Amino acid sequence: MSKIGVFIETVDQEIKQSVFGVISAAASGGEVVGFLLNGQADTYKDQLAAYGVTELVDLAAGDIVFSKFPQAAGEALAKGATDFGVTALVGVSSPTGNDLLARAAMALKAPLALDCIDVDFNDSTVKKSHFSGKAIATLEMTGKLFVCGIRPNSFEAVEAPGTIIVTTHNIDIENSDDIIVTAVEAAGSGKKDLTEATVIISGGRPMASSENFKILDDCAEKLVAVVGASRAAVDAGFAPHSMQVGQTGKIVSPKLYIGCGLSGSVQHFAGMKTSKVIVAINTDKDAPIFSKSDYGIIGDLFEVVPALTKELEKQE
Amino acid sequence: MTMYLALKSAIMAILLAAAFYLFRNKVKRLFLIMQSVDGEGPGEPDSIPQRIVVLFKDVLGQSNVRRKKMAGWAHTLIFFGFLAVQPHSLELMIRGVIPGFSVGHLVPGIYNFYLFVADILGFLVLAGFAYAAYRRFVEKPKYLTMGRDANLIILFTSVIIVTFHLINACQVVSPYAAHGYDYTGVFPISGIIVSLFGMETLSASTQTFLFETFYFIHMLTIMGFLVYIPGSKHLHLLAAAPNVFLKPLKREKAVQKTDIEDEDAESFGLGKINELNWYNVLNLYACTECGRCEEQCPADHTGKPLSPKAIVHDLKTNLFQWSDNILDGNKEEIEPFVSETSDITSDVLWSCTTCRACEDICPVNIQHLDFILEARKYQVLMEANFPTEMQDTFTNLENQGNPWGFSADTRGNWAKGLGIPTIQENPQPDILWFVGSASSFDDRAIKISKALAELLKIAGVNVAILGEQECGVGDTARRAGNEYLAQMMITQNVEALNECKPKRILTACPHSYNMLKNEYPDFGADFPVVHHSQFLLELVQQNRLILDERTLGSITFHDSCYLGRWNGIFDEPRELISRMNQGQAPIEMKRTRDKGFCCGAGGARMFMEETLGSYINVDRAKEIMDTGADMVASACPYCITMLQDGLKECESDIKVLDLAELLHRKIVNNS
Repeated sequence: MSKIGVFIETVDQEIKQSVFGVISAAASGGEVVGFLLNGQADTYKDQLAAYGVTELVDLAAGDIVFSKFPQAAGEALAKGATDFGVTALVGVSSPTGNDLLARAAMALKAPLALDCIDVDFNDSTVKKSHFSGKAIATLEMTGKLFVCGIRPNSFEAVEAPGTIIVTTHNIDIENSDDIIVTAVEAAGSGKKDLTEATVIISGGRPMASSENFKILDDCAEKLVAVVGASRAAVDAGFAPHSMQVGQTGKIVSPKLYIGCGLSGSVQHFAGMKTSKVIVAINTDKDAPIFSKSDYGIIGDLFEVVPALTKELEKQE
Repeated sequence: MTMYLALKSAIMAILLAAAFYLFRNKVKRLFLIMQSVDGEGPGEPDSIPQRIVVLFKDVLGQSNVRRKKMAGWAHTLIFFGFLAVQPHSLELMIRGVIPGFSVGHLVPGIYNFYLFVADILGFLVLAGFAYAAYRRFVEKPKYLTMGRDANLIILFTSVIIVTFHLINACQVVSPYAAHGYDYTGVFPISGIIVSLFGMETLSASTQTFLFETFYFIHMLTIMGFLVYIPGSKHLHLLAAAPNVFLKPLKREKAVQKTDIEDEDAESFGLGKINELNWYNVLNLYACTECGRCEEQCPADHTGKPLSPKAIVHDLKTNLFQWSDNILDGNKEEIEPFVSETSDITSDVLWSCTTCRACEDICPVNIQHLDFILEARKYQVLMEANFPTEMQDTFTNLENQGNPWGFSADTRGNWAKGLGIPTIQENPQPDILWFVGSASSFDDRAIKISKALAELLKIAGVNVAILGEQECGVGDTARRAGNEYLAQMMITQNVEALNECKPKRILTACPHSYNMLKNEYPDFGADFPVVHHSQFLLELVQQNRLILDERTLGSITFHDSCYLGRWNGIFDEPRELISRMNQGQAPIEMKRTRDKGFCCGAGGARMFMEETLGSYINVDRAKEIMDTGADMVASACPYCITMLQDGLKECESDIKVLDLAELLHRKIVNNS
């Protein structure tokens, strides 16, 4: 059975949520070999075993800190891919993923496709969306190994518990200091990135203050969601611009979007219209958002949201 | 004495020759710059008789200047006073060189009358200056540039006028100064100076000395002024009249069509100062920094880095900075004028809402937007430098023909089940309704579309829409400088329009109205266009829509820039409101009609973040609240969104309604 390599991307010592979907995609093609760059395989092994990773490889190259040297990190992934004989190397098409996968492909002299929405390991093809989703291109990846970045949330993460072997793989590479990452600054709220969130809960102007966003934060914690805001709430100074969803803010496509006190202006809707399920909470039954949502709750968000949080707590 | 007069002749001849020589050289250089810039300027002016009327009305009549009352009257006094003293100064110049020269002996009647009038008008200049000085030193409005340049001019000109009167006074009392002409009783003002200072009692030699002293101060100041003008902001004195003469005669205008297919073009839009055309340059020369544009500008008013006055000033400075390169043909070295280190940054450029308040108020008809819109073109097409938020908007416009990226094939969905046919279903409509993107996709604006649809049905109008065949009109892309994208969208619509050859196009969106009426003809689609504010009024006037007697409450009206300032449609919406509301005209806001204040969404600002200064729409919302009206009416989907948001921000519950929605309320019960 062939092996598929997955770059296990981590952020703040945690596995990036969208990696699990990629693992499930990889599992359809063969045994999943996970490649880690931060040397903490033991921390993650149970989590990864639950989703079907059979082998977890801690890549190490002397004292090189991969998070500081993207060139070395790319080469390490390439080395891992060759040494473990994988037929494909996949990862999340995040900024880091796109960077490192491209470097790995260069080192492997392998074909590369980023931002794929589908991948088929049996016939080595990937699908990409073009012209804002009006056309889907199917690309055939030639060569004995290809590299591919998968758009976040394209695959459902499916639990597939199994056993996992953890190895540390030492590789010998020359470090280059052409590029050194000196610092990573989080923009604005420092919270998780809206564009990659699977669940988003957003507040509009009726939030009335930045303190009130706490009720959304509480609910988000239970839902594993990221908190967003409408332009009106951002303009009023209740939330930073990095939280703004809409035409002039972030364009998001979560699986679940909960809008609290949003009227559903066209500018906001344009930023979240590709959400799979939209739930609206608003006191005004004529709010345009209701015509766009799958579920509508007519009610005061200050009652509905805490009630929801409470219910989620009970279920834990 | 003869010796002295001979010496004076020689000195005056040399001074005059030198002053006029320097003046000529400076002016010639200004002309050469106009001839050496690369942009393709407008051709020979048309409608000369009409332009001569403009010259009389705007320049001699000073009508535009007096749109600002006090300053305008002050300017009028200064203008006419200065014109009036010119022949007098000329006579004195000639007399300086040819001592016996005197016009008075040739035509005494006319001469006396002229001096009488000039003496009064000259004095009135001082009254004008008094107000100007009061404004500069006491009032100090923010929009006035306070600087050495302006103060020097006031000093120069005051000296000229004061010495004018003193010379006149000397001529009354001194036989030497009078040159054998009797000036007694000719000067009403200068005559007072004579008695005030008892000049008659002075000795003849003192009188002569005074006359010569005043004469030389007067002449030297005039000559100094002459040499100073072409290099200062008072170049205005020379360039204003020609600039006004060459102004666009119509209020309506189009963004300049760029030939994007031109394979030889090395650059698009306006990037470097040598790419201006001669008319642009004349515009820059004509500015005297009166600051009226800045006073009206919504961007400046809300603390953004843009001021139309500053842009003109900075472009003029940039032009003079590179003038050697322009004249020597050494243009490669010229650097683009927009940069983060120069006075014109990209923030300046993108702050403009294209509301045209600056152009409208400019007393010398400077076309500020010609600079701004062309510079945006360069930024987008050549540098790909534009606010990041526009990226998605551009992509959506390109892919789906609307700024939000809704699927293009759902454009006509709003009309389903309303009985509004598409052009396929009704190929011969009297009215082709061009709906526009906002009115097709934005739920708020769709409410307006639905109200209008019902009104049209009630009035029995034979109407059709283009449905899927319609594409966004191109206003956003064009005003955001993406000429390539705009032309792509325009061409698509032009093809659709030419296929159905509409008798008349109706639209409820001022941006679409403006594009269809003023910009589409350049692309081969020239059809009569009517805005729904005009069309609904027509239907009411023809009794095709019968209004009931209910009152709507107090209403104020917000002028959309693209309806009002761009197209002069000020009266129809007001007339419609008054007919709907038992003859009550709308309550006017402080800034209204041609001085109306933008909502903040024009010039593609609708799709950009407003991160600088305060919010324009909130500023306007406060003004709406000041009227105490129950509701605000407008006739533009973008204005309505902006005002609604602004009023919400101010926690006001004043309703914002479109004219069609208001009218719909007045009709539904009796239909």
